[in-house]
Amino acid sequence: MSASAPTRTATGRRTTRVSLDGLRKRFDNAPAPAIAHLDLKTEEGEFISLLGPSGCGKTTTLRCVAGFEFPDEGRVRLNDEDITDLPPEKRDIGMVFQNYALFPHLTVWRNLAFGLEMRGIGKAECKRRIDDVLAMVQLTAMAERYPRQLSGGQQQRVALARALVIEPRLLLLDEPLANLDAVLREDMRVFIRELQKRVGITTLYVTHDQSEAMVMSDRVAVMLGGRLLQFDVPEAIYMRPRSVEVARFIGRSNLIEGRVEGLTDEPGPYPTYRVSTALGSVPASHDQPLATGQPVHVTIRPEAIRWRNDGPYAGLVQSAYFLGSTVEHMVQCAGGQSLLVQTSPGQRAEAGAEAAFAFDPGHAWIIAAAP
Amino acid sequence: MNAVMTAEAPVHGADRLHGRRARKGRPGRGAFWLIAPALVLIGVFLVLPYLNIIGMSLRPTAVGAPYGAGFTLANYANALGDGYILGVLADTLLLGVTTVPICLLLGYPVAYHLARTRSRWGGLLYVLVLSPLLVGVVVRSFGWLILLSGNGVINRALIDLGLISTALQLMNNRLGVTIALVHVFLPFMILPLVGVIQSIDPTLEQAARSLGASRLKVFWRLVLPMSWPGIQAGTSLVFVLTLSAYVTPVMLGGAQVKTMSVLVVQNLIDNFQWPAGAAQALVLSACGMVAVWLYARLTGRFMKGLQ
Repeated sequence: MSASAPTRTATGRRTTRVSLDGLRKRFDNAPAPAIAHLDLKTEEGEFISLLGPSGCGKTTTLRCVAGFEFPDEGRVRLNDEDITDLPPEKRDIGMVFQNYALFPHLTVWRNLAFGLEMRGIGKAECKRRIDDVLAMVQLTAMAERYPRQLSGGQQQRVALARALVIEPRLLLLDEPLANLDAVLREDMRVFIRELQKRVGITTLYVTHDQSEAMVMSDRVAVMLGGRLLQFDVPEAIYMRPRSVEVARFIGRSNLIEGRVEGLTDEPGPYPTYRVSTALGSVPASHDQPLATGQPVHVTIRPEAIRWRNDGPYAGLVQSAYFLGSTVEHMVQCAGGQSLLVQTSPGQRAEAGAEAAFAFDPGHAWIIAAAP
Repeated sequence: MNAVMTAEAPVHGADRLHGRRARKGRPGRGAFWLIAPALVLIGVFLVLPYLNIIGMSLRPTAVGAPYGAGFTLANYANALGDGYILGVLADTLLLGVTTVPICLLLGYPVAYHLARTRSRWGGLLYVLVLSPLLVGVVVRSFGWLILLSGNGVINRALIDLGLISTALQLMNNRLGVTIALVHVFLPFMILPLVGVIQSIDPTLEQAARSLGASRLKVFWRLVLPMSWPGIQAGTSLVFVLTLSAYVTPVMLGGAQVKTMSVLVVQNLIDNFQWPAGAAQALVLSACGMVAVWLYARLTGRFMKGLQ
């Protein structure tokens, strides 16, 4: 199969690779660019999350792909077609907006028919496609309702159906779950992910909610200050952050400054180094060669630390907060280093106690980039 | 009024606490007192005069008094049976039917721009839109007289430029009245439209674009249908205002353009035919109300999802 020919999934839909090359966008009067520099390439049928705090450039990136913004520099390509300068209506991209943006003067059915009518698709084909997609989002009974007569979750599903019924090359979702209550949000995560897998459509998903990104995505693009910090599978983003910012933004983590002492021969999926830190000499993993004496950070997730009476490290438990399924302890260690330790409730240590602990070198990860 | 509101507030709070749902949704006595001044105003200055006019229209004409003794339907029979009066009524309705679409066509683009602009000149534009209302109706009509008359600014400019040799008839006819009416009623078209267009979420337009609609299609399929509440309000307002206009038709219509208002005033003041004038005024009111009601019924179905 040639590189430009779209492949078709089991359901017969076209799939697409998205590539963003050297994207840059600065708004008038803005002190800093919304997108400083961005390269990103997806595979066909992938679910990609753009994750970052507000103002990181993730929504601007999505709007550049949709055609609502035009980048100052760089190209947007679908497969090998350059769509950077196309207006949104010529891009054949489905989009779901944060506020759903359903047309209030049209019924659910007419909302779904809108995109098909714009494409000049015949009545019979319209009906077949709308019936299909309504069944897919389980709203067949709601076809004649107006948007205001639907609940938030139902409106969300209509928005999704409206974007999918045109069988677009690419699906864009801009924080679609932000306006839903917590329980519904969890359900919709699974619903959207299952639907996307079934349809097999390449999807870009903008969110500031890291657990959403983790649960739903094939790969997560972590953005900050208009730059892409790390683009990898969720597990790698969590376990093997490439920068201090990613470690800080994703989950909670203990960051310890140190210097590389040298390589050890401990077995493991990645080479283990010893790093000299305020805690002493700690073992930690990294996948790239490191020079002795190089300044690094070691990140240890709070849940990777266990109490052990003969553990190599010790500290004073300053506080212990019960969170239900876990207990969070703040431990003051030698050299002024404090650590967050998360245990099961059964392992709770009392505030004021001395505690010894250990961690597995596989769960301590070295961040080599300068902070 | 503030005192009433604050006095009522704890009562409502207590209701909610005790779960007394029966009163929920029904306006309390507080709400009644809040609208009482408006009710009094409407009663004294609208309902009573109307009742008075209705009573007057049912009286026979008398010499030396507003009306004679007894009751009669003769005034209505005269009004509805007289070809001349019916002609004036038709002319009046026609004036409304021409003024309204012109106002809509001229007003919509201005309203759209005003609703969407982020320029700091937006405020100035707003004042300009309101400017016809800042000048009294007589002064404004004199202004149009200066511009439109046979020896007026427009005709002289056109003659001086050699574009025409004899003056155009720009006033003392339907054209002059329509121009002046459009000018003064434009704000009543634009203001409701601005409110409605402003409330159309711009992301709806983006959603339509992403579904394959060009800018033009977005306007026809989305923005215009969603503007219906504003179009309905604006066109209804301009229509009834045109029907009841008096000064502008008198000053710019000359002897050529006679509207119902002009006729009614003539009967009341010049001919001292109070009962006949009252009946004609009520016929005009009834026609206007029926027209607006029919119009609202017809346009209502375009706005099903918009309430």
